[in-house]
Amino acid sequence: MLQFIIRRTCYSIITLLILSLTIFAVVRFTGDPATLMAEPGARAEDLARVRAQWGLDRSWPVQYYQFVQNILSGNLGISFNYRMPVSELYFERLPNSLQLALAATLLSFLIGIPAGLLSAVRVDGIWDQTGKVVALLGLSIPGFWLGLLLILVFSVYLEWLPTGGKGDWRNLLMPALALGWYFAASLLRLTRSSMLEVMRSEYIKLARLKGLPGYVVIAKHGFKNALVPVLTLAGVNLVVMVNAAVIIEVVFAWPGIGRLLFEGIFQRDFPLVQGVVVLAGVMIVFVNLLIDILYAYIDPRIRLMR
Amino acid sequence: MGGKHRRSLSSIGLTRRDLLVGSAAMAAQGPAPFMTPAAAAAANGTMTLAWHTAMAPRWLDPQEHDGTATPDNFLTALHDALIKNSGTTLYDHPALAERYEFAQDGKSATFWLREGVQFHNGEPVTADDVKFSYESYRGALASAFKAKTESVDVVDKRTVRFRFKEPFLDFLLLIGSGNVTGAGWVVPAKYYQQVGPDGFKRKPIGAGPYKLAYVEAGVKLQLEAFEQYYKPVHIKQFTIVSVPEAATRLAMLERGEADIIYGLPGELIDRVKQNPKLMLAPVLSGSFWLELVGFQDPSSPFHDKRVRQAISLAIDRKAINEAESGGLGKVSGNWINDDVQYGLTWPELEFNLEKARALMKEAGHANGFAVNWLTPLAPFYSRGERVVAQLQAIGIRAKLQVMERGIFLQRTQSGKQQWPGVQIIMHGARIGGTWVNWYESFFKCGGFNSADRVCVPELDAKLDRYKTSTDASERKLLAEEVQRAILDNYYLVPVFRHAFMNAIGPRIAAQKWQDVFPTITTGYAYPWEDIKLKG
Repeated sequence: MLQFIIRRTCYSIITLLILSLTIFAVVRFTGDPATLMAEPGARAEDLARVRAQWGLDRSWPVQYYQFVQNILSGNLGISFNYRMPVSELYFERLPNSLQLALAATLLSFLIGIPAGLLSAVRVDGIWDQTGKVVALLGLSIPGFWLGLLLILVFSVYLEWLPTGGKGDWRNLLMPALALGWYFAASLLRLTRSSMLEVMRSEYIKLARLKGLPGYVVIAKHGFKNALVPVLTLAGVNLVVMVNAAVIIEVVFAWPGIGRLLFEGIFQRDFPLVQGVVVLAGVMIVFVNLLIDILYAYIDPRIRLMR
Repeated sequence: MGGKHRRSLSSIGLTRRDLLVGSAAMAAQGPAPFMTPAAAAAANGTMTLAWHTAMAPRWLDPQEHDGTATPDNFLTALHDALIKNSGTTLYDHPALAERYEFAQDGKSATFWLREGVQFHNGEPVTADDVKFSYESYRGALASAFKAKTESVDVVDKRTVRFRFKEPFLDFLLLIGSGNVTGAGWVVPAKYYQQVGPDGFKRKPIGAGPYKLAYVEAGVKLQLEAFEQYYKPVHIKQFTIVSVPEAATRLAMLERGEADIIYGLPGELIDRVKQNPKLMLAPVLSGSFWLELVGFQDPSSPFHDKRVRQAISLAIDRKAINEAESGGLGKVSGNWINDDVQYGLTWPELEFNLEKARALMKEAGHANGFAVNWLTPLAPFYSRGERVVAQLQAIGIRAKLQVMERGIFLQRTQSGKQQWPGVQIIMHGARIGGTWVNWYESFFKCGGFNSADRVCVPELDAKLDRYKTSTDASERKLLAEEVQRAILDNYYLVPVFRHAFMNAIGPRIAAQKWQDVFPTITTGYAYPWEDIKLKG
């Protein structure tokens, strides 16, 4: 087990190194941020001053070395645009993103799991057909469009909810729904397929043969086992929602990490983009590592796999 | 067009005589008396501005002014300058200085501060603060100010004198243009040194009409009326909230969550027009024009003036203005805005396809020719598309090239090598201050944005004469000659001046949009202290 954990941890570190190198290079391929810090009309000496001030006049290897060194010491750099430590900006926005992601996860659970369950239990019936349509819509409707539609209906026409920004639960409702909608659809599909697979298994047949009532078979033996992959997906989804709800946060003016990333990309704020991506990467890699270890703990066969 | 009350500025010249009488003129404008706390306490109510991008803390520090128009939106709320652009006054609206005097030889300028002006922390604004702010300024044009300044002398607590190494005729114009440089904006020296630049950005203290109450980096600024400001501030609480999505901003205005919104795209204009509670504010802003790359090269089809003129004649500017700015931009003609010093007002350029085709035929291009790329400034791609489509009418077959903004700016700062073949660039800019800033950036040989793509040495020679001349009438004449030559020869082809579309909600007291957007040198709604709520 220890060997497995060490191996997986090494993979995670390599993944993070590759990620850091990739994001470092990608943001620099997009061009020189100094051109965005000074609009048309700026003078060459102004740009040179900006580059020198932010260390952009150094070679890429030197910049990368500095970047990695800073990360290892817990310093994600200073944002070009905000002139604040990236870590401070990130952790200032993190509670907002967590709040939104948790609400969206809750909504996606409330919609996706019962609908998936119902679809699986009533295969090819009206519920299943409805579930398929819901899943199709959820996966195909763009978040920004749904967000704007919600604003138009619930804010402008009905005047029930505020348009955006952070406030009380009413401010949270529409962005959570717009964000959770897609994930609800994916949960619905996964719950359905997982349930169908479980319901075809031998121990379910045995449970039925034992004469257990249908709802007990479904709830106790079927649903419980089908939930494992669903919860795994929900965990990964939550991390993605925290870090990458870019469009929803922009549409609803929600001050989260996704919007921070959007602003960073828009302004070519290298330290900000690098910092947010690396932190998101750390979160995702950490969650995956944790899941791997848990799986290995539960199922010893996994430990032996390379 | 809503801009009737705006005076034309093309004839405004910064002459020494003007400057010397500047103080008298300022007095005639009737600088508001210093407000007692009791008089200013009348401020009440709240106002919310939905800002169209993220908000950068550096915009709260005039010491790091980035030379763009954006920071003045925040500076005019939190800080104050010696003199500034405000309303229809280009640069010398009285602010912290109650008067100034510019020496006849152009080698010194003296400012007298108003009595009793204070920073938000209660400290008085003194000549020492002015000296510190100017000397430690490190933003746009800092090097130019440093190179020309001999010393800043504190004459007494309220009097400060700037001495220059050589005549510095543009000094007042520059320090008074809040959308060009921040060198004339005053920060509290003691506090600034105590907290440092980063601390200042987090908790800025200024002498402006509003003080900072709360800040959420990039998201929200809550400001509160500064009761000791020398002018009445009408609204007690002023919130600026960043809402990047235009449709959301408009929804906020419709619901009354915002009172002023910036940056409406064309497709939302009609929704504002159809709502009787809302008021559209189409503020004339940047100009767009075509650069015909390599027009000096004899092998280029653009070398022939008739081709350049044909291109100008083939552009249906009214249609572009209608589609892109709801008809609220301006189709008349200079590529340099006429709200800068010596910016020339030019008559509307003709749209005449027949004449354009005849000129193309005369120039040996009866069947037109192919243009590799037409590249518009990002994100104004639809404007580029319209020009591409219109040029087809005279046989010019261009393809649209889309570039992300940063790449576009980088490429325009590089030379002909980056623009091989036959290419057209569609530029757009709004630069404040003086026509020279436009010329030096986009037309001068080796200019920052013109690089080696544009070079007309005889016009550069005139610019050199202009810069060394201390004769105002000669300067004006040279400025006009240069601009006229560019336009007569179609070296650059103006397209139109677009409108920066904003909207005002029903709670704001305004008979016309200019009541909220009175300052002609900006697209923003300052002076903030003058805005009132209904009732």
